[in-house]
Amino acid sequence: MKKLWLVLAALVIASLVLTACGGATAPEAPMEEAPAEEAPVVEETTEEEAPAEEAASGKTQVRWYVGLGAGTDEGAIPLEEAFVEVFNASQDEIELVLEIVDADNAADTLATQIAAGNPPDIVGPVGIKGRDQFKGAWLDLAPMIEANNYDLSGFDPSMVDFYLVKEEGQLGIPFGIFPSFVLFNKDLFDEAGMPYPPAEYGVPYVDADGVEHEWTIEYITELAKLMTVDGNGNDASMEDFDNENIVQFGWENLWTDWRGAGTMFGAGSLAAADGSAQMPEQWVEAIKWTYDGWWNEWYIPNGAYAGAEFLQGPGGTFSSGNMAMVQMHTWYLAPWALGEVAFDWDVAAMPSYNGVTTAKMHADTFGILKASDNSEAAFEVLTYMLSEEHATDLLTIYGGMPARLSLQDDYYGIHAETNLAGKEINWDVIAAGMAYADNPNHESWMPSYLETNDRYNETWNYFANTPDLTEEDIDAEIATLVADLQAIFDAAE
Amino acid sequence: MSFFEGVELLKKDKARGKRKLSGADKREARTGLAFLSPWIIGFLLFYLLPMIASFVFSLYDFNPAVPDQAKFIGFENWQRALVIDEEVRLSFFRTIHFMAISLPITLSFTLFLAVLMNSEHVIGKNIYRTLFYMPTMIPLVAGVLVWNGVLNEQTGWINVIIERLTGIEAVGTNGLRWLADPKLVYYAYTMFGLWGVGNGMIIFLAGLQGVPTEIYEAAQIDGAGWWRRLFRITVPLITPVIFYQLVLSVIASLQYFLAPFVLNDGTGFPEGMTRFYMVYFYKQSFSFFNMGYGATLAWLMFLVALVLTAILFGTAKYWVYYASEER
Repeated sequence: MKKLWLVLAALVIASLVLTACGGATAPEAPMEEAPAEEAPVVEETTEEEAPAEEAASGKTQVRWYVGLGAGTDEGAIPLEEAFVEVFNASQDEIELVLEIVDADNAADTLATQIAAGNPPDIVGPVGIKGRDQFKGAWLDLAPMIEANNYDLSGFDPSMVDFYLVKEEGQLGIPFGIFPSFVLFNKDLFDEAGMPYPPAEYGVPYVDADGVEHEWTIEYITELAKLMTVDGNGNDASMEDFDNENIVQFGWENLWTDWRGAGTMFGAGSLAAADGSAQMPEQWVEAIKWTYDGWWNEWYIPNGAYAGAEFLQGPGGTFSSGNMAMVQMHTWYLAPWALGEVAFDWDVAAMPSYNGVTTAKMHADTFGILKASDNSEAAFEVLTYMLSEEHATDLLTIYGGMPARLSLQDDYYGIHAETNLAGKEINWDVIAAGMAYADNPNHESWMPSYLETNDRYNETWNYFANTPDLTEEDIDAEIATLVADLQAIFDAAE
Repeated sequence: MSFFEGVELLKKDKARGKRKLSGADKREARTGLAFLSPWIIGFLLFYLLPMIASFVFSLYDFNPAVPDQAKFIGFENWQRALVIDEEVRLSFFRTIHFMAISLPITLSFTLFLAVLMNSEHVIGKNIYRTLFYMPTMIPLVAGVLVWNGVLNEQTGWINVIIERLTGIEAVGTNGLRWLADPKLVYYAYTMFGLWGVGNGMIIFLAGLQGVPTEIYEAAQIDGAGWWRRLFRITVPLITPVIFYQLVLSVIASLQYFLAPFVLNDGTGFPEGMTRFYMVYFYKQSFSFFNMGYGATLAWLMFLVALVLTAILFGTAKYWVYYASEER
């Protein structure tokens, strides 16, 4: 009898241990996390089936990791899968394997894969922020560009340099760029009887009386006040304006932070040339202007208004229909943000500050990890992805303008047809905005990138949520911020 | 013979001197160990080993994104956490500050509910018990998001009700900004916690139902009123349950993380007030990828929790009443 017990006990223990050590059952994921759950399936294929496939076909597997930037939304996945299918059909030496991880988990998953010695080969599309989170992990492509005689003349040299990182090398080849512009609600301007903002760079704003005004931040401030309206129909320039009952706002640097909003006043960096922390003078001006818009002149929604129901829309405040103007990038010109809006909109030129116009730029590309075992094959895949023949297929998925100059002319029609059929957009002003791209880029590297990001956002949020600060208060907060950033920079050394 | 009785027996045996185990005893011990082995193996593999690994990590500058650049730096991470990095101290005091507000409110509210649910004067107690327990069935993340809407300064119904009932300007930019005002945010977070007190209420209720009714009857005959009975009979007799809840609540408060992370992505909004210790630990480890430093922070919290728990156990003999006089 005791032996029977012992046998039973051994069986129970063995089953428990096996259960504990075996692969955990994937938890039920919410709908939007479906891509995240797909990745392990792909990985299993890689680990378990690869040898057999390699033996059978002799193909080298290249893993393409999507999640640090665009490409994880439901609409993008089938298109990416189709792209992979077409690539694989064209190959007899390389097999491309797609791994899509939900954006919320993508950074942690990638870090874990790298640390565990199981890294993917190609990662992207990835922006500057995603790239700098993995500083030191990217392969310098320069030797491969040289060895393969890869022709970079099809790109604007400044865009090639955009990916040239000091002490790390050429971390990317230009792929998609996303210029910014003023996006405005035509219906609100019509309702107010106001002419639209300038449709090209270098021309003035002509008001309802036919008077010309230089298109500057000073004037856009006046316009934003006129377009900010309370429940009684008074605008923010009027004495009777009720700032506790605002129903429509005039301006917002949508979905950006201090560096993004500050760049409208001029490009800069929180890291000085000598590596110390700094706050560029024009960014100090920018926060004071923004603070004024939040709490004194009321033309920008402050923290208290940010959660107001009348400002909620699928694309944030602008798609609510109660925001007159925002600064935005081309990735926003997509169905998820503007497909369902019940108003007409268009794009306009960015205003100048002290005679200089700056239109911040976003850029995405693909990188190859240093830890990749198949970097040569990965570079071959990369060149296919960025090629004249195939780049547009991917750019249409991600909403980016081609960095390759030869593709730019056709892009506008393809993008509008694919994403916003029937909508006429002033592409000329968007293309012209590229000439005013920020340099250094507002997303460029800083020591301890994300920690620094967190710290200055804390001060930004403090200003957005704290009324009645004086200019001295703001200066004092900025001084504290710079000291704290210096401590973060020092710790990162 | 239960496991605990066996342990007691072994203690007594030990006290009497070593006793030679018979063959049957040895077989029984082996069987016991065999049954325990899944837990022991699990503990070794999934707790002890990671703990040792995390201590080793704490001696390294380790970023999982560039593991080949990992560097042994001795106790530099510990020095940074204990001496240099002011945020460690600040986040720890924020955690204690929040604990000082939320813990007494939560514990007394839970006890109050349990006493109410134990009262003979309440009609339909089972329905109320079910209703009060129900929120614990809702996933915490969903609960936090619901509260985020309820406490919205512009549209949240708490502010709307306060304004309509009292006339106080609660809605709007000058109103009660529960989640954005540093003076209110801890009370708002405490409210999230109160929503999920069902489990605690059930445990208190079990304790209350274990108090012999004849003691109440005797006290009532002696003329003791309701409050006197509560503080002289009920509370002393359920001190073991209060102690249990207190220890768990202190540890849970030290680990407070989910609400600020779900609401603010751990940014500390407003004004850093919600950057609690565990939030800071998470950010360092999993956002900034300072895994070595994160491991140090985790060890520090482990040590703090250990000391606090030991202090609580040390004070127990002065205020926790065990009828059997044994703990």
